[in-house]
Amino acid sequence: MGKLRGFIEYDRKTEKNIPVYKRLKNFKEFTIKPDDKELEKQGSRCMDCGVPFCHSGCPLGNLIPDFNDAVHRRSWKEALNILHSTNNFPEFTGRLCPAPCESACVLGLVSPPVSIEMIEKYIVERGFSEGWIKANKPKKKTGKKIAVVGSGPAGLAAAQQLNFAGHKVVVYERDEKIGGLLRYGIPDFKLEKSIIDRRVNILIEEGITFITSTEIGKDISINELYKNNDVVLLCGGATIKRDLPIPGFDAVGIVQAMDFLKNQNEIIDNKKTMIPDLNANNKNVIVIGGGDTGSDCIGTSNRQGAKSVVNFEILPKPPKERSLENPWPYWPFTLKSSSSHEEGSNRNWSILTKEFIKDDSGKLTGLKTVKVEWEKSVNERPKLIEIEGSEKVWPCDLVLLALGFTGPEKNILQKLKLKMDSSNKPKTNEYKTNDSKVFAAGDLRRGQSLIVWAISEGREAAYKIDEFLMGSSNLPTKTKGDLPLVK
Amino acid sequence: MKKQGLYDPIFEHENCGAGFICSLEGKKTNGIIHRALNILTCLEHRGAVSSDGRTGDGAGILIQIPHEFFVKECDFEIPDPTEYAVGMLFLPQKVNQSNFCIKIFEDEINKQNLKIIGWRDVPVNSKVVGSIAAKSQPIIKQVFIGKETSDQSEEDFNLKLYLARKISENNIYTSPLTQSDFFYFSSLHNRTIIYKGLLIPEDIERFYIDLSNPLLVTSLALVHQRFSTNTFPTWDLAQPFRYMCHNGEINTLRGNVSRMISREELINSKLISKEFIDKIFPIIIPGKSDSASMDMVLELLLMTGRSLPEIMMILVPEAWEKHKSMDDSKKAFYEFNSCLMEPWDGPASIPFTDGKYIGALLDRNGLRPSRYTVTKDGYVVMSSETGVIEIKPENIEKHGRLEPGKMFLVDMNAGRIVEDEEIKKEIVSKHPYRKWVKDNVLPLSKIPYTGNRTPEEKINFETRLKIFGYTKEDFNTIIIPMCKKGKESIGSMGSDTPLAILSKRPQLLYNYFKQLFAQVTNPPLDGIREEIVTDTSLSVGSDYNIFSLIPDHAKKLKIQNPIISNEDLDKIKYIDHDDFKSSSVKALYKLSKGHNGLEEALENLVNDVEKKVDKGSNIIIISDRNVNKKLAPIPILLACSFVHHSMIKRKKRSKFGIIIESAEPREPHHFSMLFGYGASAINPYLVNEIINYHHEIGLINDVSLDQAITNYNNATAKGILKVMNKIGISTLHSYRGAQIFEALGLRSKFVKKYFNNTPSRIEGVGLYVLEKEISTRLKKAFRSEDEFINIELGGEYKWRRNGEAHMLNPFTISKLQQSVRDESYETYKIYSDSINKQNEQFMTLRGMFKFSKFDPIPIEEVEPWTEIVKRFKTGAMSYGSLSKEAHENLAIAMNRIGGKSNSGEGGEDPNRFKADNNGDSRNSSIKQVASGRFGVSSHYLTNATEIQIKMAQGAKPGEGGQLPGPKVNPMIAKVRNSTPYVGLISPPPHHDIYSIEDLAQLIYDLKNANRKARINVKLVSEVGVGTIAAGVAKAKADVILISGFDGGTGASPLTSLKHAGLPWELGIAEAQQTLVLNNLRSRVVVECDGQLKTGRDVAVACLLGAEEFGFSTAPLVASGCIMMRACHLNTCPVGIATQDPELRKNFKGKPEHVINYMYFVAQELREIMANLGFRTIDEMIGKSEKLDTKDALNYYKIKGIDLSKILYKPNTDKNSVLRNTEKQDHNLKNVLDFKILKESQFSIDKKVKMSLDFNIKNTDRTVGAIISNEISKKYGSKALPKDTLTLNFNGSAGQSFGAFSVKGLKMIVDGNTNDYFGKGLSGATIIVRKPKKATFESHKNIITGNVALYGATSGEAYIGGIAGERFCVRNSGASAVVEGIGDHGCEYMTGGIALILGGIGRNFAAGMSGGIAYIFKDPELYDSRNFNMESIEIEKTEKQDLDIIKDLIEKHYANTFSNIAKEIITNWELSKKMFVKIMPTEYKLALEKLAKENINQIIN
Repeated sequence: MGKLRGFIEYDRKTEKNIPVYKRLKNFKEFTIKPDDKELEKQGSRCMDCGVPFCHSGCPLGNLIPDFNDAVHRRSWKEALNILHSTNNFPEFTGRLCPAPCESACVLGLVSPPVSIEMIEKYIVERGFSEGWIKANKPKKKTGKKIAVVGSGPAGLAAAQQLNFAGHKVVVYERDEKIGGLLRYGIPDFKLEKSIIDRRVNILIEEGITFITSTEIGKDISINELYKNNDVVLLCGGATIKRDLPIPGFDAVGIVQAMDFLKNQNEIIDNKKTMIPDLNANNKNVIVIGGGDTGSDCIGTSNRQGAKSVVNFEILPKPPKERSLENPWPYWPFTLKSSSSHEEGSNRNWSILTKEFIKDDSGKLTGLKTVKVEWEKSVNERPKLIEIEGSEKVWPCDLVLLALGFTGPEKNILQKLKLKMDSSNKPKTNEYKTNDSKVFAAGDLRRGQSLIVWAISEGREAAYKIDEFLMGSSNLPTKTKGDLPLVK
Repeated sequence: MKKQGLYDPIFEHENCGAGFICSLEGKKTNGIIHRALNILTCLEHRGAVSSDGRTGDGAGILIQIPHEFFVKECDFEIPDPTEYAVGMLFLPQKVNQSNFCIKIFEDEINKQNLKIIGWRDVPVNSKVVGSIAAKSQPIIKQVFIGKETSDQSEEDFNLKLYLARKISENNIYTSPLTQSDFFYFSSLHNRTIIYKGLLIPEDIERFYIDLSNPLLVTSLALVHQRFSTNTFPTWDLAQPFRYMCHNGEINTLRGNVSRMISREELINSKLISKEFIDKIFPIIIPGKSDSASMDMVLELLLMTGRSLPEIMMILVPEAWEKHKSMDDSKKAFYEFNSCLMEPWDGPASIPFTDGKYIGALLDRNGLRPSRYTVTKDGYVVMSSETGVIEIKPENIEKHGRLEPGKMFLVDMNAGRIVEDEEIKKEIVSKHPYRKWVKDNVLPLSKIPYTGNRTPEEKINFETRLKIFGYTKEDFNTIIIPMCKKGKESIGSMGSDTPLAILSKRPQLLYNYFKQLFAQVTNPPLDGIREEIVTDTSLSVGSDYNIFSLIPDHAKKLKIQNPIISNEDLDKIKYIDHDDFKSSSVKALYKLSKGHNGLEEALENLVNDVEKKVDKGSNIIIISDRNVNKKLAPIPILLACSFVHHSMIKRKKRSKFGIIIESAEPREPHHFSMLFGYGASAINPYLVNEIINYHHEIGLINDVSLDQAITNYNNATAKGILKVMNKIGISTLHSYRGAQIFEALGLRSKFVKKYFNNTPSRIEGVGLYVLEKEISTRLKKAFRSEDEFINIELGGEYKWRRNGEAHMLNPFTISKLQQSVRDESYETYKIYSDSINKQNEQFMTLRGMFKFSKFDPIPIEEVEPWTEIVKRFKTGAMSYGSLSKEAHENLAIAMNRIGGKSNSGEGGEDPNRFKADNNGDSRNSSIKQVASGRFGVSSHYLTNATEIQIKMAQGAKPGEGGQLPGPKVNPMIAKVRNSTPYVGLISPPPHHDIYSIEDLAQLIYDLKNANRKARINVKLVSEVGVGTIAAGVAKAKADVILISGFDGGTGASPLTSLKHAGLPWELGIAEAQQTLVLNNLRSRVVVECDGQLKTGRDVAVACLLGAEEFGFSTAPLVASGCIMMRACHLNTCPVGIATQDPELRKNFKGKPEHVINYMYFVAQELREIMANLGFRTIDEMIGKSEKLDTKDALNYYKIKGIDLSKILYKPNTDKNSVLRNTEKQDHNLKNVLDFKILKESQFSIDKKVKMSLDFNIKNTDRTVGAIISNEISKKYGSKALPKDTLTLNFNGSAGQSFGAFSVKGLKMIVDGNTNDYFGKGLSGATIIVRKPKKATFESHKNIITGNVALYGATSGEAYIGGIAGERFCVRNSGASAVVEGIGDHGCEYMTGGIALILGGIGRNFAAGMSGGIAYIFKDPELYDSRNFNMESIEIEKTEKQDLDIIKDLIEKHYANTFSNIAKEIITNWELSKKMFVKIMPTEYKLALEKLAKENINQIIN
């Protein structure tokens, strides 16, 4: 497999982007596809490892060496089959995944890792453009009915798997359109929504029923759902947003990132007009939260025409390279700069927001911060220490809170009398809750996480559901083998 | 000793010294007996003695019946000579039982109408018998039997004696007597008589009082002494046997025996009445040694009227199949007789006699030494060594040796030596064999293709793939590479997946078997370089009565490569021929009936076969075609073996051949097993479809479809050859049915029924589970037909989440690396827990043990880790396989903690012998001596603390290795003493170890080369390794290492990686039990390695009997290895297993990482010790009672496993020693070198020239090594100025003369020398020449033995005569002149010069990659067909060549006074045109490349 010395001969290449000034003019995706030859070369950098850590580092267990090799051999259709055998939606992960596979790539030990994610993306795009990706209708029916609540990546993956297995699957979504965070949380410049539609259409063709704008517990009672189905799978996500309850938090101009992003996404979808409070145009914007959502807010703000964009992160600036305590192949806590950062933002680390400042009308005018230090001690969590005299006031018009989510919404879980943990997540055993008919997957079960984990959850839950319903399952499962955590 | 625990007497081996002496004039003397026995005394170093110090492994002498003596001694009347026979009989110790036996025998004699003349008690002196032998000492009597009538022919008389004896034996052995096995006839013949016993040679005369009586005279005497691997030899197995004795080992015994059993059904003779014929079976009495069994067949064949020489030709044929210059009538004889009998294959020197002829024969490979001398006063002496009888030089007529496959015969009646040519010519022209063959043998290619074809399968391709358990790995890793390259794929880093019995994935039946291999007692073969002795063709058809000599025997279908294509199978299926009728039988069973259905189907299958055979079919095709939802495939191996064994039982096996038509077999191991259990040809039809499919989709590109299939079939044939070769078998003909496998994880009941006589030691699953695995696969295949499940990935060779479990996986690797870098014992515990706690999935046998009988003590009381790690070693990984950085890193780490690192087989840079400035040492404490002998010089050996002889390695036991030219960079070349860019081959065998006594010799050599170093012998676990270990202990090894099959970091064919050898748990336990039983345990240190990863692993190994421990994979992982498994590709990205300078920069390992790992392991071990209550390792060794098997072995497959044999403790007395407590006595006191050293000390110390004279005998072995060791110690590799010390020797030098001798020594023998002359020559000049008084012509007589100059690294040798086989094997720098050599000359040579002034044997220059050979084209001797042209070119000599040649010949003359040298020099202008130059192609290119590099350097 692979090319024997490919990794010595070729350097890593990733997609090039359209220049910043051009891409800021719209919300479209801005990557440039490399030619096939380059992709084949990149595939040939894969070393066909005896122990492919990438495959372990991928929460889906993507068969990375196998599809890399297929690409290297120009056997694209085979590559697509390999890819689809573990991943329902490579077009999502190929665009959005932070690629833990690449940080676990063995080549990464000695030189830049294989561009796995890019290869993944172009395998699936090739599949669509060649028309290889078609509805795969189940050949038999089991007569079992399954309701999936929530149409994010977990719900979609589970639905497709369960449908393959011959069960009747209905997906319920309270929003107007299918996709959950994919649709409403991810900006178009990272994922154009036609990509979701393209896939959803296939799912519909395969026989999955989608019922949108319908909230369980409101539009349909949870009891009804429970009674009419053999299994209910909860994939509602972890939607409770973390607040920043400090003085002045009620100022006008303090906005949750999700509201901000959703609004922009709906505008592009021609569904809505801009809500002025959610518009960054001509404003000084501060994004609190240095994660991916924060980064999305930066990109969106810049596209909306913000005057300035500042970003805060409470943790210290991570090192560029792995630290000794954070060796390969573990997930690297290193400085990650996204394309949005590159588009313009003032990034600040070790900074804590102490107070929002508002004018008399209650409108936000700025905020106060303090620099912090993290004190480490053995066997304890690091302690936050504010540095005296480091207070600073930042004038601003719009603050976007990208602080993550604290957990799922409680009402359905409570109505189903599910046992929950301290962060309101249902307690599960192999995706099964204490109610044998009710399963849970995705952020709702796991807490906020990556898309790739959501798909993985959906697939694995589907396997367990099928096994529960049929006695045994022929659905694929990734089994064990996830990379351990550093501690 | 009875079978107990893991010890089974069936695995005893023997090798030995043998010889004969006879008077050509027929002079009968008593002196001959003493001289013959003296031969044995001089060969004593080739035998062995038990722990009681007195019991030998057996010795004996065969002589002519001493008529006059008996006339005088017997109190009854003795008829005329030749009118009577004498039997030498062992009888039960108990008188009543003894009388019972006598009665039975007398009855049988009467039934044959012969007369008992009388009985004589043989006087013996029991005092000389050792305590062990005394326990089984029989009553010994002689019986005198008269002819029926005086005109009864000699043949008929002996036949009747044979019948009476056989029938008595059968009656007695099947009787309920407790001592029935004492009954044994040493001899019963009208010409010969044998005195033998469980004695050491010098005691035979003292034991048998007769032998000293001057009236006891004979004109011939055949003697033998045995070296068996352990100390439970028996009286009856002492040799000679009735017609022969044997030095060597028959590897194919199991197959030979079972074929003999199936031949019995056909036996019929006009000479034997119906009443008796059935009573003589079995011909081969079970449970006897290989030699004894062969003798039993030999005597049966004698009864058919064939002559003794003819029978020897049939049993041990020459390698005729690929012989280019053999006479056609002889080839025809061999070809015809191959239809009657498969070769008894293995190393063998077989002296034989029937009283009329006395002679000896050598195996096709020439693997045993056999030298003879003819004297002018009419005596012939033949023996394993020369110089065993003192003969004055002027009395020597001729010195000769037995050549491979050749016979040496003395016709006692005619009083002359009959040359091989003459004997064979007479034999082969007795019948028109060529015509018989031509008229009857049908080659597969000659069968007309009728156009009939097997119908296509109805079930789709993909579903069938799933039914038969194919994975993508099977395609990508196994099949496709074979199609592309015509070779089997290579892998590295051992195997860390569960044993088949422990795997949760359904396994093919083949995976429950492991291949056995040769180690120590016989050599593996090199089927690539020594292809001429191999053959993979087979023939199919009915057999005929062996008593009849008719052309019908040759009615056989001959198949050249028995992996056959679909077309060929169709030809056979639809054959239309008078002599052949084929029938197919279905190997399918009804799925709905479950395992009962499978069992029933197997019975029906056999019945079906029987019916078809009864109706005249002689080719049975067992087919698993046409599976469907209801009919599942019977594992084809099970079907094949069951048919094979059942039909043997039903006495119909010899009437047909089995052809397999199966979807199952895909890798060489599968095919090998099918042949091993009786198949004659195999059509892997599904593989053909797979190849077709992958060719269509373009995955097999670059080759045509036909070529792809041919490549696959050839690769498979090569793979099978390798499997055969690793046990030392050269022809598929004798491999067929030899079942050289061990079952691992199969119920013995199941094995007994379906794979009878295959060892199975831990029990396990049977038909029920096998059926379950089949039905799971089949149901899943059909269920998934309409779903979307792809073909499974596999994950056997590379880790995948859904694939087979691996112990080294992302989790364990990352945790181990993290722990050693962070110095975190907690993190290490996460790693070790995940390996130790095999609760979810058992991976190893040790995983199934738990510790028990806790008796906790505080951990502080346990010996400190710093003491424990002194017992730790890193494995043998060469510099070359590892990068310099990685190799030195291990050495530094181990030296810092007082453990030992191992050089591996690649030599070592002498700069590393000195300490570094910072106090670190990069010197590997253990220096390995492997078959390639790379860089093994006196200096290298001198700098070792321990010297390890690698007999086998876990990853590929029984195989050699190869370092391809491009990897041999100048630094590696320097260390290995070879030329840069010239590929290096490690041969499968050590060419100086073909048997146990050879190993003893190498141990002796190395001990001489460095007296302070411990000698360590590395073995690999397999059934019988315990008896081998006992033999190795007797051969005086200090340390015995038992490796598990799964270890190994080097490159290895995948088949070997997975399927050869056994886990160390079995090996260590068997070795421990056998050594303790033998009372030998105290003499040796037992070491264990093979996937040792945690402290718990070490604890288990220790409790089973190991006291030192080796680690390879884990320290590499600690140093940064990420189990890329690409060691063989030079692309290791972390700079460990690569020589690429760029990649080497990536090496990040530090000695601290390795040290931390060792510390963690020791710490974990200490915790276990504290719990169990052991304060020291010494207390812990061998305490297997502290182990128990885990309860709740719930998984269905594991339930049947029984590990009690591993935990067995031999019931010896309480004081039995369980660990090493004493040192071996290496018997160095009387070494000649000490005497020389005393006299030459001044010369050595002051570097002044000196010349000394000594007498030398064949018992003076390894002369020169100790002096050289002393010089190396003092002067390092520079040694002394050339010719400082001249040593003149008179006589016959023992083995290994000049071994490892260094520069400054000039050693001259006036006389002759034995094997291994100049072994590892390290700079000395060594000379052997005929004594001045001798009159024979030097260039027509043999003067030195086999394997001269093996592994020589520098120096000069002048040999004034002919040398034996394998001259200059692996020479890498010495220059040598010789006047003629045997077969396989200059094999694997990589440097130096060989100048040969006479004939060369066959297969010259095989695998020769460097150095130059010059050959004088003697018009009578030169035959260009003798060259192996694979790697060489024959060139004309240039001026510079002639200068070299002339210089060498002049020196040769000056040193040896050689006539031929003189003639050549005198006629130089004429003779200089008669030289050819043998130039290895690779060497030539390398020299050119080096020249270019030099020029570049100069320019730059």
